[in-house]
Amino acid sequence: MQLGEYCMPTTVILGVIGSDAHVVGITILDQALSAAGFDVENLGVQTSQEEFAAAASEHDADAVLVSSLYGHAEQDCQGFHELLAREDIDATTYIGGNLAVGQDDFEQTRATFRKLGFNKVFDSETTPEEVIRSLERDLGISTREAERDRVQA
Amino acid sequence: MIRDERLTADELQRIDERIRDDWPTGAAVDFEEAIAYHESLPAHKQFADVLESADRPLLQPRAGVPCLDDQVSLLEHLHGEGAADLLPTTIDSYTRDNEYGKAQEGLENARESGDATLNGFPAVNHGVDGCRELIERVDAPIEVRHGTPDARLLAAVTFAGGFQSFEGGPISYNIPYTKEGSLAQTIEHWQYVDRLAGAYTERGVTINREPFGPLTGTLVPPSIAIAIMLVEGKLAATQGVRSLTLGYGQVGNVVQDVAALRALRKLGNEYLRDEVCVTTVFHEWMGGFPPDEARANGVIGLGGTTAAIARPDKVITKSPQEFQGVPTKEANAAGLRTTRQLIDMVVEQDIVLDGVDEEQALIERETRCLMDAIEAHGDGDIAQGTIKAFESGALDVPFAPSDAAEGAVLPARDDDGRVRIFEWGELAIDEDIREIHQARLADRAETEGRKQSFRMVADDVDAISDGKLIGRPTGSPDTGRDGGETRAD
Repeated sequence: MQLGEYCMPTTVILGVIGSDAHVVGITILDQALSAAGFDVENLGVQTSQEEFAAAASEHDADAVLVSSLYGHAEQDCQGFHELLAREDIDATTYIGGNLAVGQDDFEQTRATFRKLGFNKVFDSETTPEEVIRSLERDLGISTREAERDRVQA
Repeated sequence: MIRDERLTADELQRIDERIRDDWPTGAAVDFEEAIAYHESLPAHKQFADVLESADRPLLQPRAGVPCLDDQVSLLEHLHGEGAADLLPTTIDSYTRDNEYGKAQEGLENARESGDATLNGFPAVNHGVDGCRELIERVDAPIEVRHGTPDARLLAAVTFAGGFQSFEGGPISYNIPYTKEGSLAQTIEHWQYVDRLAGAYTERGVTINREPFGPLTGTLVPPSIAIAIMLVEGKLAATQGVRSLTLGYGQVGNVVQDVAALRALRKLGNEYLRDEVCVTTVFHEWMGGFPPDEARANGVIGLGGTTAAIARPDKVITKSPQEFQGVPTKEANAAGLRTTRQLIDMVVEQDIVLDGVDEEQALIERETRCLMDAIEAHGDGDIAQGTIKAFESGALDVPFAPSDAAEGAVLPARDDDGRVRIFEWGELAIDEDIREIHQARLADRAETEGRKQSFRMVADDVDAISDGKLIGRPTGSPDTGRDGGETRAD
């Protein structure tokens, strides 16, 4: 049972923000989301806020997933949600990765990024399945069967 | 159109004059005067001679801080307390982006505040005289280690500044490090670096060049790394480089690592012309490290053991603080001593590993497939062949952030922990070899009672930092974290 058989495909924008070149995480996420039936637009590493917004607008994205591993995420995400609002983009936004230099207090990091406007904030230990389940919940869809078929215990 | 041809003296001079205008310190570069300077250095600071005449694997850490005095004391510590044989000077990220103005700002901040405001030594800003002061005050050979796609000015300044070894290359400092830069452009830029190294070499000052073997540092199949080392070696040799150190990053399976290092040395000597002296460098594990320092020492120890069996000419060491990022000088020295202890204990032993010859033969066959494909794509020209093979996906690097590579190839470990290829993309490897990889991955899937999937790739990427080699499933994939924002276990 594939997601696409039951409803409109769900489009997810994926990218690493700023000057960051860490590509492993989004490569894995891209594979996992595609296998679960999402339409994935992977913008790759070193993606600007403007590139995220343009892609979200062009593909009428349901969700925008921002990745950052190098510790400069807070600076890179300043004004991002204001930009999305100006472009009339109403997508669910997630951010995940190593969001601050040193991850001693994740609750504080989460609060910082929530305040910047992200709907959810994930640490670097998050599995692709958790992201998929979170998207299902936030977007009101089900991909559980497709996913379960791929990942046998 | 860029081709694998030696730059003429006129071309070298024309680029040289232009590139030296990029930052004021470029003006102090004088080739003839620099030759005389290098000739004045004592024998134990002649990098290529020290490396090529060694009778045991030499150890080298990574290290770079912004200010000159601090860099001197850091290197003295690693030489004294860590017993490093060869020293590094790691260059900061602004310099790697050719942002010399920002590097200057960072350097001035560091001088005022005493903090390490840059993540390395801005050698261009320190200029020829600053580099020479470092070379003179530290009593061992020093290499420039960086990650700079366009390293022309860095090479001009550091060669004139007395450095005799320079890491990097047009593929290995492009594909893993940037999104946009084209291969045609990085090949052109590195032709200048290599030609300059060649010009010094012809005057009796050997500049050692070291292509960066680990690439993306994430489960890179040995044959892909080796093929890229051979390409960069050939491009450098065309420009007159005569001392080449080809690199390979530890994957953690001892048999595969020993086989890969032997294949690298053998194919390096075969593919590179006779007048080139080929040495090899083994990088201790470049992927994610365990956060626990005791476990991290275990990973480093396995690297030392592997090096003792495979006997590369050089080992780049890691520190037990790798997980946190840039280590203290004490931790960096500890990584050197752990490695030395393991090498010196194991190197005396005659250890015969089952399966090394077979694995080496497989790696060599795969590498030859890739080299033949590059040759065919370029109609005999290796520069064009490399560009076109990356375009078609015949040559590819897993987890490559660069648009210049397909990045379609995905690796996964087999049931023995050796890195195999799970997704092939258009990689130019013969069908019968693909079947071997597929069979090994099928064995693992059977052992684990799950289908082959990207999930294995993801599990393998995290495995060593989680305390294992292979990313085996740990019970139910439903770990109780159900998409809510939970903190990591």
